[in-house]
Amino acid sequence: MSEIARARGLRRVVRATLGRAYPRIIGANRERSWLFYDTVLPLLGTIAFVYVYKALGAPDRFVGYVIMGGATMAFWMNVMWNMAAQFYWDKQGGNLELYMVLPCGIVPILLGMSIGGFVGTLVRAAAIIVIGSVLFHVTYAITQLPLFLLIFAVGIIALYGLGVTFASVFLMWGREAWHMAELFMEPVFLASGFYFPVRALGFWVGMGTSIIPLTLALDAMRQLLFPGSHPALLPVRAELGALVGLAVVFMLVARWSLRKMEYLARREGRLSLRF
Amino acid sequence: MRRWWLTLRVGYWLGWQIESNWTDPLLFFIYSIARPLGGVLILVFMYHVVARAGGAAMLGFFVVGTACWPFVVRGMMGTAYSLISDREHWRTLRYVYISPISLRAYLVGRALAQATSAVAAAAVTLIFGRWVLGVPMHLATINAPYTAAAFVLGITAVIALGLIVVSAAVLISGEAWRMPEGVGAALYLVCGAIFPVTVLPPALQALSQAIPLTWWLEAMRRGLLGPAVVRSLPQLPDPTVLGFLAMLTALWVAAALVAFTFAERRARQLGILDRETMY
Repeated sequence: MSEIARARGLRRVVRATLGRAYPRIIGANRERSWLFYDTVLPLLGTIAFVYVYKALGAPDRFVGYVIMGGATMAFWMNVMWNMAAQFYWDKQGGNLELYMVLPCGIVPILLGMSIGGFVGTLVRAAAIIVIGSVLFHVTYAITQLPLFLLIFAVGIIALYGLGVTFASVFLMWGREAWHMAELFMEPVFLASGFYFPVRALGFWVGMGTSIIPLTLALDAMRQLLFPGSHPALLPVRAELGALVGLAVVFMLVARWSLRKMEYLARREGRLSLRF
Repeated sequence: MRRWWLTLRVGYWLGWQIESNWTDPLLFFIYSIARPLGGVLILVFMYHVVARAGGAAMLGFFVVGTACWPFVVRGMMGTAYSLISDREHWRTLRYVYISPISLRAYLVGRALAQATSAVAAAAVTLIFGRWVLGVPMHLATINAPYTAAAFVLGITAVIALGLIVVSAAVLISGEAWRMPEGVGAALYLVCGAIFPVTVLPPALQALSQAIPLTWWLEAMRRGLLGPAVVRSLPQLPDPTVLGFLAMLTALWVAAALVAFTFAERRARQLGILDRETMY
């Protein structure tokens, strides 16, 4: 019996997590065209919105807003297409059944997908920020770097918690998964204020859309990047507290939802439903 | 010709079924309109955080561009996805190919089905723009013959672009799923979908004028909004814009037919027409 097969408990979870993260970090970067498309596609959309602000004669900080939004979009797309809809792809490729019979269970697989997806997307988001900022001469003045990084980290944990929740729901779906992931694009970009301060939606609407972790994370990070000029939804520390709450809630909901949906999917025979 | 037409009709029917029968009509309708409406509202809020008064002409620019863009997304990218999904997802391309029909007619039918699914989105976006956002789009100012001519030419151009993208997709495998999306994103940037191309750098402006979609969007705005519209090509009169659209569309249709013929022949020679990548 190999060393991997003998692994038990936490060791097995860690091994399975790393094993699932590996193709997302190493494998995805071997496919040069993916690297190109994952960086360039959000960048092209971002540049289009930069030109909208330029056509409107907006101050330079709005260009910074758009670039931040573009980088954040890379994370959202990763969560929707490579977390939520991933089990749909896995059904197509025949991997889902293999995951289901693994001794480690499905949670380390999702954890590995999250970690791998995050690392891969971080590189792409950084590229979007660097290229966008150089192209349009945007400068940032981060006033409290540790707080900025903390908000980013908590926001990402909450976001991937949401991704796992979605993944469990998508487990039930066949073709709908693709369409539902598409449905959560522009409406979410709007609701989370990817390209404008979310406060513009109105305070209560902004509070409502804060259920999407990126709303609060973006608003808090913009407050730190553009101090004094950004119309805040809530004070930074209140947004950080709310993000911590969202992270905890989404992780608990994800755990419950995953069990429930896996049971339903098994019972209704949807785990191998390809079309 | 009769067989060509029959194939197109069947391709259209099949495309519509694949496009719409994954859910009930209400959810399909919501799905169809949510993205374009979300897109136009993003632009509206961007507009409002910068300039809170006046400038309704820019809102009209956003609304018409956002209303027309789903035709490009569905028509052009949809054509490419039709072929790729038939090849890799449904694995039916080889059977379609060996049947006694024109593959071009089949793909054009699939493209038209995809374009049809954009009609609801375009209509709702225009109605929303007119009645909620107050865009100056009145029956008295709409130049119906001009708009209709521009629309027909635009859809033809979209399908021609789709065939060109399909021609590339036939010859590649690994990147085939992402390539149409990349082309769509590049066109979104250079064709003046959401901002006048006059703000682009000169090189990109020149590129945008070689693409029929730039002229189509400009003609649709002029036809629907009349003179009260921000223009991508301010120096040209309306008939000239339509004339250039017709000329470029004809050129791109010819290019699409040549490219598709070449790509199909080349793919057969290489034996990759039905190559699957297990994406």
